[in-house]
Amino acid sequence: MNVIASGLRTPIVLLTWGVVLGYFCITNRIASYLHPSFHALTWVSAAVLILLAVATALLPEKSCTHDDCHHHHGGGWLSTLVLIVPLIAATTLSPSEFGIAAVQNRGTVQDMSQLPAFVPRADDGRAKIQLVDLLYATAEPSMREDFENRNIEIVGQFLPARTGNPDGDRFEIVRMFVMCCAADARPVSVAVQSDRPADFPAMTWLKVTGRATFPFENGRRTALVVADSVTEVEAPAETFIY
Amino acid sequence: MGSSWFTFNLGDFSYAFLSVLLEGVPFLILGTLLSGLIDEFLPSRLMLRFLPRSRFWGVCAGAGLGLIFPMCECGIVPVIRRLIGKGLPISHAMAYMLAAPIVNPLVAVSTFAAFRGQGAVEFTILRLSLGYAVAVAVSLAISGLPMARILRPRLIASLGETHDHDGPHALPVRRRLTSAMHSGVRDFLDVLLYFILGVAIASVFSTAVNQKIILPFASNDWLAVATMMGLAGILALCSTSDAFIAATFVAFPAAAKLAFLVFGPMMDLKLIFIYSSVFRKRFVLGLAAGLFVLIGLICVRLASTGL
Repeated sequence: MNVIASGLRTPIVLLTWGVVLGYFCITNRIASYLHPSFHALTWVSAAVLILLAVATALLPEKSCTHDDCHHHHGGGWLSTLVLIVPLIAATTLSPSEFGIAAVQNRGTVQDMSQLPAFVPRADDGRAKIQLVDLLYATAEPSMREDFENRNIEIVGQFLPARTGNPDGDRFEIVRMFVMCCAADARPVSVAVQSDRPADFPAMTWLKVTGRATFPFENGRRTALVVADSVTEVEAPAETFIY
Repeated sequence: MGSSWFTFNLGDFSYAFLSVLLEGVPFLILGTLLSGLIDEFLPSRLMLRFLPRSRFWGVCAGAGLGLIFPMCECGIVPVIRRLIGKGLPISHAMAYMLAAPIVNPLVAVSTFAAFRGQGAVEFTILRLSLGYAVAVAVSLAISGLPMARILRPRLIASLGETHDHDGPHALPVRRRLTSAMHSGVRDFLDVLLYFILGVAIASVFSTAVNQKIILPFASNDWLAVATMMGLAGILALCSTSDAFIAATFVAFPAAAKLAFLVFGPMMDLKLIFIYSSVFRKRFVLGLAAGLFVLIGLICVRLASTGL
């Protein structure tokens, strides 16, 4: 009985990981965790792990009979639990986005000098722009001409303004700028000025429509959206910007 | 909330923890499947025949292997474990393990992209060169140490068991593939255990510690370099994306960012755990300290030249 149970530990761990990875792919929850270039790898990994689980269950490793065997035949049940429980617990507990504590601990990027260098993009005539485009426009005159005083619509998460808010009519709107995965996510934010008080819980998803402006403040050019309307919205399917 | 230096939130922790697991596991699978195939299909004598006979040139070749066989820091450990088992000298394997996550084409491209407009060509060349030089220096330094002080006893004991299945008594390919699968799966579960523990600790620090506390250290070269290396150790980022994070620390001198980009792929919280699946704990801690001092001194010297 013990031999059967210990022989099942490896397939159980592999199957658990394969199913969890597959779950993230099938439900597209993966989009909240990884850059799109990693999604295919996750699909393949899920399939490989499930295949390995089946193969190791059908073709179990033969037990060594020699006394001086130094092969490692997998850990005991404790290591099996360590391999499975944190994964399942994190899958259950993770809100699939960072809260205000992580955003504030990482500090928001409000200056394009802290972002990878600007890469010109084709003009596809979109009215919806990414928040990061406004930061690039602070340093790129041609982009600034495109956006300045134009009506724009941006989607991001609410963050109360902590500095640069003398009249109390500003807040920040933040998005996560990602290169590989959420672990390297950098919060990027621009200031929003609104006549109506914005009293949302921190990290609420908002759609802001208004005018893009680029005033000089504290000796540097900044991006400021003068809002016509601020409305609460559902989180977008892709919460990151790349 | 944001003013405190440490603010733990279970949701943030779980999110960061999962994202690194999801990103890293495919590379662990790749590395361990490769390790299984090496175990079963790479004859020791073939590998040793192609190795330079001189220790110095062998280490130099190992440190440059990432240009041909690029591997990330997570996937490389099971591979070098198997290569050591096959008889590859530890110094050669160490050179490959330390250098490959930096000296490879993907990292060159990502570093160049991240530092565009900030001397990208020079910075990329500096990063790859320093990574290579440090890997060679450290590997040569440990080449005189006895194996028992470096490797885990279990691995030393298993060295004699490595067997080649080629030649006239070769097993059928199907049985060898099954055996390779079992070797790979064993390695995967072994390394995954350490990976989970390392990622868990790194995720606590990367989400709970307020990164603004390091900003006052940016104005002093010694403190800036040490701080950025400490940060690299805590954040435990993938070497293909870390340049984009380093580039955002505009307050820090370039030499401190370089230290971040060379130290991080060689040693961080998750790697301390992953390395412990192959090396003795005392050796891993010594390696961490040695890398910290060596890279730190070089980067402080570079900072004094105006970098």
